[in-house]
Amino acid sequence: MDAILTEELTKHYTIGFWRPRPYVALEALSLHVRQGEVFGFLGPNGAGKTTTLKLLMQLTFPTSGRAEILGRPVGDVSVKRRIGYLPENPYFYDYLTAEELLQYLAGLFGYSAAECRRRVTSLLDDVGIGAERRLQLRKFSKGMLQRVGIAQAIINDPEVVFFDEPMSGLDPLGRREIRELILRLRDRGCTVFFSSHVLSDAEALCSRVAILVGGRLAAEGELSEMLAFQARAWEVVVAGLEDTVLESVVASGEVVRVTPLGARRYALELPLSVAPDRVVADLAARGAQLVSINPVRETLEDFFMRQIGAAPRDRGLEPLAR
Amino acid sequence: MSARVVALLVVLMGGVVGLQALHERGGGPPASTTASMLYVRSPEVVKRLALSYKSLLADVYWIRAVQHYGTTKLSTDPDKEYDLLYPLLDLTTSLDPRFNVAYSFGSIFLAEPPPGGPGRADLAIALLEKGLRAQPQRWELAQSIGFVHYWWRQDYDQAAAWFARAAAFPGAPDWMGPLAATTLAQGGNRESSRQLWQQVARDAEDEWYRNEAGRRLLQLDAMDQRDVLQEAVSAFQQRVGRLPSGWDDLRGAGYLQGTPVDPAGAPYRLDSGIVGLDSASPLGPLPRGLAPLR
Amino acid sequence: MRLIGHVAVNVFKESVRDKVLYNLVAFAVLLIAVSYLLGQLTAGQDIKIIKDLGLAAIASFGRLIAVFIGIGLVWKEVERRSIYSLLSKPIRRHEFVLGKYAGLALTLFVNVVVMTAAFYAVLAYLNTQFPEAVRASWPAPATDPSMLRAIVLIFMELLLVTAVALFFSTFSSPFLSAALTCGLWVIGHFNSDLQSFETVVDSPAAAYLARALYYVLPNFAAFDIKTQVVYALPVPGSYMVATSAYALAYIALLLTTATVIFSKRDFK
Repeated sequence: MDAILTEELTKHYTIGFWRPRPYVALEALSLHVRQGEVFGFLGPNGAGKTTTLKLLMQLTFPTSGRAEILGRPVGDVSVKRRIGYLPENPYFYDYLTAEELLQYLAGLFGYSAAECRRRVTSLLDDVGIGAERRLQLRKFSKGMLQRVGIAQAIINDPEVVFFDEPMSGLDPLGRREIRELILRLRDRGCTVFFSSHVLSDAEALCSRVAILVGGRLAAEGELSEMLAFQARAWEVVVAGLEDTVLESVVASGEVVRVTPLGARRYALELPLSVAPDRVVADLAARGAQLVSINPVRETLEDFFMRQIGAAPRDRGLEPLAR
Repeated sequence: MSARVVALLVVLMGGVVGLQALHERGGGPPASTTASMLYVRSPEVVKRLALSYKSLLADVYWIRAVQHYGTTKLSTDPDKEYDLLYPLLDLTTSLDPRFNVAYSFGSIFLAEPPPGGPGRADLAIALLEKGLRAQPQRWELAQSIGFVHYWWRQDYDQAAAWFARAAAFPGAPDWMGPLAATTLAQGGNRESSRQLWQQVARDAEDEWYRNEAGRRLLQLDAMDQRDVLQEAVSAFQQRVGRLPSGWDDLRGAGYLQGTPVDPAGAPYRLDSGIVGLDSASPLGPLPRGLAPLR
Repeated sequence: MRLIGHVAVNVFKESVRDKVLYNLVAFAVLLIAVSYLLGQLTAGQDIKIIKDLGLAAIASFGRLIAVFIGIGLVWKEVERRSIYSLLSKPIRRHEFVLGKYAGLALTLFVNVVVMTAAFYAVLAYLNTQFPEAVRASWPAPATDPSMLRAIVLIFMELLLVTAVALFFSTFSSPFLSAALTCGLWVIGHFNSDLQSFETVVDSPAAAYLARALYYVLPNFAAFDIKTQVVYALPVPGSYMVATSAYALAYIALLLTTATVIFSKRDFK
């Protein structure tokens, strides 16, 4: 059974009061997410990522198509016991404290009072909220609210979690912590479905990704496969390279690009056709030291930009800025 | 929307309508005879409280005055108290001194004796005098004061004085002066009364006022008719030597044909030689003291 | 059921933290101040005026709370998007709507109870300020328990006003909801005039429409028995039952419709 399944999921809106025009938020999205994987749902702003998540949470109703979570249709209340959701830019009740909010939401699952307290305490520790937990939420910074949001999403030990921009508002330390939390969730067997436009996070965490552009699925698959054939060059980093040696190397035409890294240290980019070990041996003979050899892969960002450029833009209207 | 939800909505709607019908059949909220309570009677206070809504509030008080009069008159309570009528009219005219219909209403219905009104001619005059202070050039108010003295208090000297004053106002009709003179000379008489009521029947803007004038005119006609019948009774008595016991006697003696009815259609009665209106006649009681013009 | 209560308690907590219950302080101050002033100025009719004022204040404060919190009950959660995380939990949309209603009803209940207690306390104190002869002339004792009937019907009216406000809150913005709720209250108060409309109006279509509206629009005037209890006039128990049943039926109708509307909503 797939954790998440959508079939031709479509959402059309009409915009405008006097002359209503159709707006395609999502068109015929079909994808499936297997249990236990970390799935990245990527796309530029306005691509329809949040719409998809809202359809999965049944906050909106599809124009056509269907979706399932853990084998049941979306909106099924029994399934909601087993999932968690972090909305984008979450807002909670600012007159409650962090503790009270989590206890309120935990109470919806029917846990006993003691069980609620236990979960709330350990969760707040997990997401890194210490003494602030007794402060009213109206006093929280964006980063702290984000942490509270993540806490409320996993309060019921869900089997599938849906994160909409989980890293938004977090400082680098926070991002690292949440990355580690996501990995811990994966290790526990939880399926993580998160949407983001921060590609480095996806690269670090996901096994599979889908790229959404203009409401349509532009690409989907294993990350490694998508990027596998895209190694395009070798990068050789050498130290102690004399200027004369450098000039001759450049003159030979074998080096595509030279990046000085300071103090006679250089990163040389060689095309795939040139065997890097031969060049290294040659440089070593002339007094340079090898620091590293790495294949230069296309990054997810490069891949991403190509997908965006290629995808058609006709959805009835230019995507609205949110 | 599922069929069950639709059914539920229909049932609830039916319940709501049914209970409302039940409420209406029960006569609404339990009767509160003293539901009439004016918290603030002082015109000064009300004027201050009204802020910029004086006209609107005057309308509200006017509506309440009319409602109060109407419900009190129609109620089956044996002793009807129109105790809020003057205060409400007073408040109406304090908030809006030009609310002329309130003055007219008060001049008639405050003075009307029970059961049709509180019988307070003095309050009617007080109201009208207040109106005159606010609108010193309005001849109708002066005439109304004279009218109250004339019709309800039978104080013909005062009436004549007020009619004379009214005649002196700008825009007063031509017959006001002669009316004053006649009243002064002859006291209460039917011709002058007729004249006054005919003017109201012609010129008044409100239907109730015109209707009232029409009724008064019929009363005057009834008084004339009664006099004629009374003469026939006296003639009968002189000729036959006793009082007629009923209309049959008069018919038999040739003074009458058929049964006399008053202008409203109710038959006249003859009791111990006195001609009078039937107790069910809408024209009763007839005003007193108005003799025909000599 | 449990979830409805859970949401309700949260609504109550919100109104407490929003300092709504401070209106109780205002009420108490008003009542005490006026009774003191009256004591200084007059002697005699004051107990009636205090009773009238107290009952009217309980009704008025309650209506203000019912409207101004009611119109935001659903709207605020949708507007601020706190509803997103809430609806992802195992709670059904109708449980949410009913929970919100129950929470405001609870707030109003606490409000009315406290105000009633303060009201009777003031009346009990005033009772000691008048001589026996004057007290004997009153139509009803100062701490007359039958005033509770009026307060019960006031509470039913507040529940109905809340249902109206909540209904509008499921689909319209606060300003519009407030206007519509207040408008409906004013019209419902003059409902009986709709009934006598047909005697005044010529067109039979208009008369028919007025009559239909009379049955359909909420009849708020039926809940006002303040004058009756102050003058110790009888209010039959059957009237209390019938009017309360009317309120409950209408509330059920409004809540069902509100739930249907809310269940179909797309949250943008």
